[in-house]
Amino acid sequence: MTRLRTSVIGLLLPSVAVVVFAVLLTFSLSRMSEIENAMRVEAEQNMLWVLHQSEVAALRLAEITARADLDEAEPDDIALRFDILVSRIALLNDGPQRRFMDKLGYGDGLDRLNGEIQRIAPMVAGFAPGDGARLRAALEPFPQLLGRAANAAMIADWDEVGGRLETHRSQLRQIIASLAGIMVAGAVLTITLVQALRLSRQRNRMLRRARDFSELLISSSGEGILAVDRAGRCTLWNDAAAEMVGKSGEHAVGRFLAEVGGFFDTALVRQAVARAFTGETTQLGLQPLFRQDCDIPLYVDLRFFPMRNDGQIVGAILFMHDASDSHAAQQKDAQDRDRLEELVAERTRELDDALKRERSAADLYRNFAAMVSHQFRTPLAVADSALQRLIRRGPNAQPQEVAERASRARDAIAGLTRLVESTLDAARLDAGQIGARRVKCDLAEILRTVCHRQRAAAPGRRINVTQAEPGESFAFCDPAHAEQVLENLLSNADKYAAAGVDISVILHGDADRLFCDVHNAGSPVAEADRARLFQRNYRGANSAGIAGTGIGLFMARTLARMQGGDVTLQPGSDGMTFRMALPRIEVAQR
Amino acid sequence: MLGEMVAVVGMSLLVGTAAVAADAGTILQVTGRIAGETVALEHAELQELPQIELETSTVVTDGTHKFTGFLMRDLMENLRADGDRVTAVALNDYAVDIPMADFYDYDVIVAYSMDDIPLGRDDKGPLWIVYPRDDHQELQDIRYDYRWVWQLSRLEVQ
Repeated sequence: MTRLRTSVIGLLLPSVAVVVFAVLLTFSLSRMSEIENAMRVEAEQNMLWVLHQSEVAALRLAEITARADLDEAEPDDIALRFDILVSRIALLNDGPQRRFMDKLGYGDGLDRLNGEIQRIAPMVAGFAPGDGARLRAALEPFPQLLGRAANAAMIADWDEVGGRLETHRSQLRQIIASLAGIMVAGAVLTITLVQALRLSRQRNRMLRRARDFSELLISSSGEGILAVDRAGRCTLWNDAAAEMVGKSGEHAVGRFLAEVGGFFDTALVRQAVARAFTGETTQLGLQPLFRQDCDIPLYVDLRFFPMRNDGQIVGAILFMHDASDSHAAQQKDAQDRDRLEELVAERTRELDDALKRERSAADLYRNFAAMVSHQFRTPLAVADSALQRLIRRGPNAQPQEVAERASRARDAIAGLTRLVESTLDAARLDAGQIGARRVKCDLAEILRTVCHRQRAAAPGRRINVTQAEPGESFAFCDPAHAEQVLENLLSNADKYAAAGVDISVILHGDADRLFCDVHNAGSPVAEADRARLFQRNYRGANSAGIAGTGIGLFMARTLARMQGGDVTLQPGSDGMTFRMALPRIEVAQR
Repeated sequence: MLGEMVAVVGMSLLVGTAAVAADAGTILQVTGRIAGETVALEHAELQELPQIELETSTVVTDGTHKFTGFLMRDLMENLRADGDRVTAVALNDYAVDIPMADFYDYDVIVAYSMDDIPLGRDDKGPLWIVYPRDDHQELQDIRYDYRWVWQLSRLEVQ
């Protein structure tokens, strides 16, 4: 209310002062112009002098006639004086002078004088000494009338001058009053102006302070703040923005945003800025901002707002919040989830494996039972029949026969024992109880040991060992397992080779691995069987009549693979060649 | 060429009248700082000066009138006047000082006829000093109005 009143007074008072100022100025100017116009001396105001001169002319004519009577003057002199009088009377009859005489009320008198002039003219023309008295008598009304007229002119003049002065005085008084009014109005205007100036300076100061404060806020803000005008040029770029983008304010302000950084030229940012120009607010979360010369992006949350001035959108303002922390947390969450999934998958796999093992154990027992019923029956029957014969023969038995029958029984029992051992090995393998302790070992040494044992077990069989590279046979493996694999391959070769056929073993290698090829010239395996030879409990078509569990090759391959090696059946129609491959020690150490 | 002729006329005019004092035909007497101290000029002689026409209003008559006469400065130059002011005296002994500069600043004439009617002694003649009042605003002033000497009879160059 008070503010409204103040503003009304603040506006009304100077307006009134301006109007008063203008009115008074116009008034005094018009008054002064009137005075200026009135300040001209009209010739008719000189009438007193004209009348006086006319009177003098009349008197001098009278005087010259008197002197002519005394013979002191010529008729020419009289003519001159008369002409002068005539000219004066003519002057009085002329326009302005005549009007003045009429105004004074001496128009009739002047006409009478005109008549007198007409009467006198012949007297002057034919002047003779002695005519003077008559002429003077005729001239008598002239000074009388002209003197009175002069008197009246003087009074009229004074009246006029007095009136004029009075008018001027009153006009001047009005002007003085107007000027005083103008001064007052001027003072009011000056005071208002000074106050307005003071107020404006005060407001400017306040504005400046407010601006300084907002500048301080912007510059000290941890959020990057930047603004663009409608043309897309950057108008504001605070320190935090410079830090985030890696461009200083001097580099950014005045440039197009797209020039400042490729980040601002992305479709998302451009659309958000365009939306801000239409008055919409946009938020973008976790945008990757690649700084200059930096491969790791900074993740920022962006908020776009329109910038308004007097209701018009003059640009857009953009707040950038460093969201690296929340991005990292999000990343960590994702990683945790992935790890959890992996863990679950791993556990599932383990459970599956356990289940599989369990199933294979069940299979094993089932197979074991089948195998036992089939494979164990033969040696048991052999041993039983040998022992029955011995019992039946009783004391009649020859010592040689006893020894032969007993050793046959023992052989059968030894075969049984091997069957049981290999079956148990397979069971241990399934149970995961067999591990590999890999060390550096000389494969040639192992081969020699195994060959020696094999020769002892089957003295009728020749085994030829060839070593392609002497001294270069160190493998990275578990020696016990390697021995077992070789034993298996050699005994197999012995089992399936016809009698009298040699077994050859070749030890060689390539850059990474050592190979041990065991060859026998036995009947080749049918193509269909080749792939299945390494399956557990598989027995090929050629195994009929030969004791075995069908586990040996499966075991050999499994043990070899456990040590980074393998057991394979080499292609070829010339007998059978099984190869054990093991990594060289150099490869393992590399 | 014309100026030269005027000068010759002026000289003859001077020589012819120098000896004569105030003759019966004399209408203008010039005295003071001129060639020949005193010169009495007759009407005919004055009419030999270059004739000038001037149309102007006056303060003592209504309307404008056509005045015919000669330029005051032509007369002054003919008489080799050497002064800074001229005292003009009328038949009724009215006398007024006129600065010589007036004749050069304005085309001030000495008229011998008004509206083609010769000015008579019983009016404002035979000679009337006329200022080109309508052509110059500053001449419309009471201080110039009193220099309009009519019934001019004598000029004293000072």
